[in-house]
Amino acid sequence: MVVGTAPIPMNDILNIFLSRIPGLEALISSTYLPSWEIIIIEVRLPRVLLGAFVGASLAVAGTSMQGLFRNPMADPFVIGISSGAALGAVMTLPMESVLLDTGVHYVAPFFAFVGALGAVLLVYSISRVGGKLPVETLLLAGVAVASFLSAVTSIVKYAYSRDIWSVLFGLTGSLGAAEWIDINVVFPACVLGTVILVFFARDLNGIMLGEETAKHLGIEAEKVKKIILVVSSFITAAAVVTSGTIGFVGLVTPHVMRLIVGPDHRILIPSSAIVGGIFLIWCDTIARTLIAVPVSMITALFGAPFFIYLLWRRKRST
Amino acid sequence: MKFLEVNDVDSYYGPKKVLEQVIFSVDKGEFFGVIGPNGSGKTTLLRCISGVLKPRSGGVRVNGLNVYTLGEREIAKNIAVVPQASAINFSFTALEIVMMGRNPHISRFRMENERDYKIAENAMELTNTKHLALRQMDTLSGGEQQRIIIARALAQEPKLLLLDEPTVHLDISHQLEIMELIRRLNRDNDIVVVAVFHDLNLAAHYCNRLMLLDSGKVFSIGTPHDVLTPENIRKTYHIDVLVKEHPLSSSLYVIPFYPAAQKLTSCQKSVHIICGGGSGIQLMRVLHDEGYSLTAGVLNVLDSDYEVAVSLGISTVEEAPFSRITDESYERNLKLILSSDVVVVANAFFGEGNLLNLKAAKTALDHHMPIILVESTPFSGRNFADREGEELYNSIRAKAKLVKKPENVLEAIG
Repeated sequence: MVVGTAPIPMNDILNIFLSRIPGLEALISSTYLPSWEIIIIEVRLPRVLLGAFVGASLAVAGTSMQGLFRNPMADPFVIGISSGAALGAVMTLPMESVLLDTGVHYVAPFFAFVGALGAVLLVYSISRVGGKLPVETLLLAGVAVASFLSAVTSIVKYAYSRDIWSVLFGLTGSLGAAEWIDINVVFPACVLGTVILVFFARDLNGIMLGEETAKHLGIEAEKVKKIILVVSSFITAAAVVTSGTIGFVGLVTPHVMRLIVGPDHRILIPSSAIVGGIFLIWCDTIARTLIAVPVSMITALFGAPFFIYLLWRRKRST
Repeated sequence: MKFLEVNDVDSYYGPKKVLEQVIFSVDKGEFFGVIGPNGSGKTTLLRCISGVLKPRSGGVRVNGLNVYTLGEREIAKNIAVVPQASAINFSFTALEIVMMGRNPHISRFRMENERDYKIAENAMELTNTKHLALRQMDTLSGGEQQRIIIARALAQEPKLLLLDEPTVHLDISHQLEIMELIRRLNRDNDIVVVAVFHDLNLAAHYCNRLMLLDSGKVFSIGTPHDVLTPENIRKTYHIDVLVKEHPLSSSLYVIPFYPAAQKLTSCQKSVHIICGGGSGIQLMRVLHDEGYSLTAGVLNVLDSDYEVAVSLGISTVEEAPFSRITDESYERNLKLILSSDVVVVANAFFGEGNLLNLKAAKTALDHHMPIILVESTPFSGRNFADREGEELYNSIRAKAKLVKKPENVLEAIG
């Protein structure tokens, strides 16, 4: 909040916040510029909050996917959910003006959700080999589906806007366009999804031991799998529709957290949410201050080498 | 009412029939073993009983409950499964794994309570794993991991424990440790055990009853003595074995013959073997492997040659243990001899008790039958029938083909 093209001192930020609390306005001496108030309330605060909730959403989705697929490489970006959500959201572009006029804000998120769900089901059914889900085929299918869906997304977007730059830039995930309306979408989705997933955390622990073992332990594996897929797609869609596709947050965070808090999803999911949020805020701070690029480039800068490290370690262990 | 009833189960993988009309039941308190060659449907049967695989037809009832109408949670309260020991590579602690056994008893919206921890602790005490509670699973040895998995099964407080080759991949001392543990649970904690075994000796020692599956069908069911006969094993596993009683525990144990390379084609010639006291073991094996159809006699029951002959499915004229050959047995033996193509006399000891066997060989000679005499050691050292034995032997030796070793018999037969 402090750093940015216009540096604003910490105590002024506090004052701006305090002045918003009813009953306190009179006590606050407004030593700050009025434009600072706008920067903080309308630009930086929504951007930070969006970073927190998008980061949390992606991390929670990644954690659940990795547990569900028993696969440390799973992540909403890698296995194509994010691309599906992006395509779903772009499909609503032709309706955009109508929708904005009528004030309906939840059509794009809904289409994104459908797109995400479709992508994950497609990847899942392609990569399933005789009841098993090998890492290699999951990754390959994910990459293939993601590329295809991204291509379709670009074409749709280009057909609509006829502006190749906006197409190229609009596809990279960024928090730069953060508005309060985005928070209204991503916050409820993130909180609701995380709470639901925490209730299924014990089942997820069981599924980690293998689906058949999970059934032996009284877990309704088929039902739980569907619920977790739907909820993960749901929160991913909310994140994508507000900030584009941001990769690797969902991959890196669960890994680091698993090393710190252990594999129990009842602890892993909430802690991944918190750390995922913090991680994305940091990445975004770097993105907007140091080099002014979309945040997805920064996460990729950290995440892609980490992904390669995981592959390398896996190769060594087998 | 039986505790476990498997009623006419048919199961398929795709178009392939894996189980066919499997019917059996298990009583309360039983330790029930399922054996059979690879692909005979043992594991599929366990999956049908545990409800994860629904058979195409037929039903399974556990404690009166129909497994296929119960939810996962209800099944898990009644049945616990210990799968085949396999490498475990996740970092849950042993206690976390055992606590997962409480899952069916804990609703989604509540945490584990005091009682759940008590039960898990008790399960770890029974399996002697309490000291491992905070260790990560992937740092434990195979035997320790398997004990943790059994502790998890116990934490479910099951009435029926299903085990799929619980000791495979474990060394012999860990095998016994796990099996003793399971037996204790079966006896002291009143848990019915149904276990799949590859190791017939473990199965024979620990189970009250066994079921032998072959190509998805029940081949034999009963006590180990009923089921583990050389004949049953030959027909299902297609190997020849010796079934003996363990000298200390009196349970059965099964020793395979190790065939050099069993010939599938069988020779036309039939051979009768006169042996005794172990002199015929190698002879029977060599000729059996070569595919000759064999007969033998007269042999005393309990004689080592007799046991080998039974194991190889050789029809034999038998005599009561340690008894002299009766005239009746002699006559029957002579009949077998005269209906065969060649007679082989092994390098056996001859005394008054079995002199009639030599006499039978002499009679065969008089009928111009070819006789092969195995003489690894001089007869004088093997003769306990004085002059009569010597005269008889020499008269046979004069006209028989002589070979030094049992394996040379093959060439002599030609």
